[in-house]
Amino acid sequence: MAAAGGSGAAAAGRAYSFKVVLLGEGCVGKTSLVLRYCENKFNDKHITTLQASFLTKKLNIGGKRVNLAIWDTAGQERFHALGPIYYRDSNGAILVYDITDEDSFQKVKNWVKELRKMLGNEICLCIVGNKIDLEKERHVSIQEAESYAESVGAKHYHTSAKQNKGIEELFLDLCKRMIETAQVDERAKGNGSSQPGTARRGVQIIDDEPQAQTSGGGCCSSG
Amino acid sequence: PVFPSYHHFVVCSLVSRKKMSPKSKRGGIHMDLCKKGCGYYGNRAWQGFCSKYWREEYHKTRPKEMQEDWELAERLQREEEEAFASSQSSQGAQSLTFSKFEEKKTNEKTRKVTTVKKFFSASSRVGSKKGISRDKCPPVPYNDSTVLKRTELVSRELLEFFFFFLEDQGKPVHAELREFLVGTHHMRPAGVTERDSISKKVFHTMHLTFQPNQRAKHEKIEKTLNYVTVFILVMIVKKLRCTTVKEGKQLKCTVVEKSRISQAGTPRLEAIPTPSICPCVSDSHLVLVPWLSFVDIIEMDSKHVPRDKLACITKCSKHIFNAIKITKNEPASADDFLPTLIYIVLKGNPPRLQSNIQYITRFCNPSRLMTGEDGYYFTNLCCAVAFIEKLDAQSLNLSQEDFDRYMSGQTSPRKQEAESWSPDACLGVKQMYKNLDLLSQLNERQERIMNEAKKLEDLIDWTDGITREVQDIVEKYPLEIKPPNQPLGALDSENIENDKLPPPLQPQVYAG
Repeated sequence: MAAAGGSGAAAAGRAYSFKVVLLGEGCVGKTSLVLRYCENKFNDKHITTLQASFLTKKLNIGGKRVNLAIWDTAGQERFHALGPIYYRDSNGAILVYDITDEDSFQKVKNWVKELRKMLGNEICLCIVGNKIDLEKERHVSIQEAESYAESVGAKHYHTSAKQNKGIEELFLDLCKRMIETAQVDERAKGNGSSQPGTARRGVQIIDDEPQAQTSGGGCCSSG
Repeated sequence: PVFPSYHHFVVCSLVSRKKMSPKSKRGGIHMDLCKKGCGYYGNRAWQGFCSKYWREEYHKTRPKEMQEDWELAERLQREEEEAFASSQSSQGAQSLTFSKFEEKKTNEKTRKVTTVKKFFSASSRVGSKKGISRDKCPPVPYNDSTVLKRTELVSRELLEFFFFFLEDQGKPVHAELREFLVGTHHMRPAGVTERDSISKKVFHTMHLTFQPNQRAKHEKIEKTLNYVTVFILVMIVKKLRCTTVKEGKQLKCTVVEKSRISQAGTPRLEAIPTPSICPCVSDSHLVLVPWLSFVDIIEMDSKHVPRDKLACITKCSKHIFNAIKITKNEPASADDFLPTLIYIVLKGNPPRLQSNIQYITRFCNPSRLMTGEDGYYFTNLCCAVAFIEKLDAQSLNLSQEDFDRYMSGQTSPRKQEAESWSPDACLGVKQMYKNLDLLSQLNERQERIMNEAKKLEDLIDWTDGITREVQDIVEKYPLEIKPPNQPLGALDSENIENDKLPPPLQPQVYAG
C-alpha cells in the first residue's frame, strides 16, 4: 500500500513517487504546461508523445530520487463532478488559471475549497497563472491572486508555457514541498501507532455513490 | 477414481472456453451484427448476440455458466497445487516452477484455443512427470478435515518457492500467505468485502516487508506481487465468482439499468448526439476509433486476473490516443480523451463493466491502481462510468426537453449533424450521412403519403355516408312524379281581370 502515495518513499535511497493532478478549466493551458515541462515542447508538429494526459518525470532533488506522475484531467465544466475520482490519493495539485480569464480564476477557487475539504492539508497546492505572455490582456490582478493563494496555504506561480517561463521552478518547488510533507508524514508514522493491515489511504471502491464514498474515506479511511 | 473426474473438469472447461473466447483478434477484427437482427453489433464472446440479447440468453444459461466457472476455478487451483508440488519434489527446480507460472500467466493473457490446448497438455505433462506429486495431493472436494491438511501442504510448498525466489525474504511472505490461507478457509461464508479486506491486508503487509529491503530488486518485487495476486485469486476465485455474480445482481449496475431502460423502447443512450459529448473530436476519427477499442474493452470481461483486465483497459486507451493524435495532429489531452472514452463505453456497452471495475478495485494490487499508467487509465474508466451514471441534460449542455427527446428516441441527432460538416470528415462517412439523410427524408415522405392515404380513406367513408343519407332521405320522401300541368291556355285566357276592365273606348260622333 505504501507505494501508493508519497508515504511510499521509505528509508533513504528509495525513490519517492508522487502523484500530481492538474486541475483547471478547459483551455487554460494545462496540457501545454505539462508538455512543456516533460518534453520541452510547445505547439510543436514533431511531438513524439502519443498523449499528454499521463506523463511521468524522474527527478533528483538533493540526492533524493523522485518519480513524478502527472495526471491531466478533463477541464470541461460537465466533468467537474468527477474530480474526486481523479485527485484521491494525490500528493500535489496544480491549479491552473488563465490570467486573461477571470472565470478560470473563480474556478480555481472552487477547486481549492473542494480539495481542502476532501483532502485536508496533506495535499500541496500550487496556483498557477498561465499565459503571462499575454500580460496586456490580464484580467486577474497579481495582488489578488497572490493574496488569495497565501490565504489558503497555497503557492502562487506565474508561468508561460509558450515562452517556457516559470515552469521548471513550479515543479521543482512542488516536489520539494511534497518531499517535506512526506517526511513529516513518515516521522509522524514512526512516532504514532502504525496500523498494520489497514491503509490510511485506501483504494476506494466505486459503489453506487462514488461521491459519498470518496468524501467518506478519501482522506482518513482507517478500515 | 479421481482421474476421470479431473479430465471431465478439464474437458468441460475446455468446451466452455472454446465457446466463449473472443479469438477474432489475430485474424483481423471481425464484428458482426447481432444474431437477432436488432441492428446493433454482436460479439463473439457473447455468441454473436448484442449486449441486450446476450443478457437474455445469459440469464437462461447462467446456472450452467456458474458451474463452469466453478470448474475452471477448481482446475486453476489444482494446477497451482501441482506447480508447487513439483517445486517441492525437485529442489533445484525453481526455474521449472517459474516457467509454469509464466506459462499460466501467458495463458491467462492470451486465452486462445491454442493456449487452451497448451494448458491442457501442460497439465497432462506435469501429470505424467510428477505422477507422485499428484498422488500426494489428490484433488479432493472441499471439506474441513482435508482443508487444513492441504493448507499445510500448499504453504510448505509456497515457503520453498518463496525461499528460493526471494532468498531471505521468503519467510514473512510465507507467514502472511499462510495466515491468509487459513483465514479464507475458515471464513467460507464470508462476503466479498471481507475477502477484499483480507487481500488488501496481504498486499499491505507485503509492502511493509519489502520496503526496507533494498537488496530486493523492484522488478522482483513486482513479479512476486503478481504471483501472489494470482495465487490469492486462485484460492478465492471459486467463491469470489459466485459472490460477484450475486453481488452484481444486487448492485443494480446503473449502466446496465440505464441502457435497459432505454432499450425498452427502441432508442438507446446512443441516440444522444455525439458532438454534445465530445465536441472537440471530429467524426472522421470516431469512425477509426471504435473497432480496435471496442474489441479491447469488451475483451476485458474475458480476463480473469485483474492485471490482465487492466492491460485491456490500457490497450483500449492507447488506441483512443492514437486515433486522437491522428485526427488532431497533436498529443491528446485529457480534455479529448475522457469524452472519447465515454463515447466508447456508451457505444461498446462492455459486458458486466460495473462488476469488472469492482473486481479490479477489490483484488488488484492497490499500488498498481494508484500509480502508473494503468492506474490512470483505470481511473479514467471509472470517471467515464461515473459520468454515464449521472448523465443528465445539464451535463450534456442540452435543454431538458432536448435531452428527454433524445432519450425517448423521438429525435435522431444525425439530421442536425449533416448540416454542420467539418471539412475534414472523410468522404465515405459524408456519403453515408447524406444517404441517411435522404433515407430519412424518404421516410418522412412515405409517412406523409400514408397519412394522406388515410385521409382519403376517410373521404371514402364520407362519400359512403352521404350516399346513405341521400338514400335514407329518398326512401323517406319518395319521389312523386306529378302529372304534368295543363298546357297553358292562350295568353289572355287567364287574364281574368280583363273582364273588369272598362270597355274599350268607343269613338263617339257628335253631330254638330
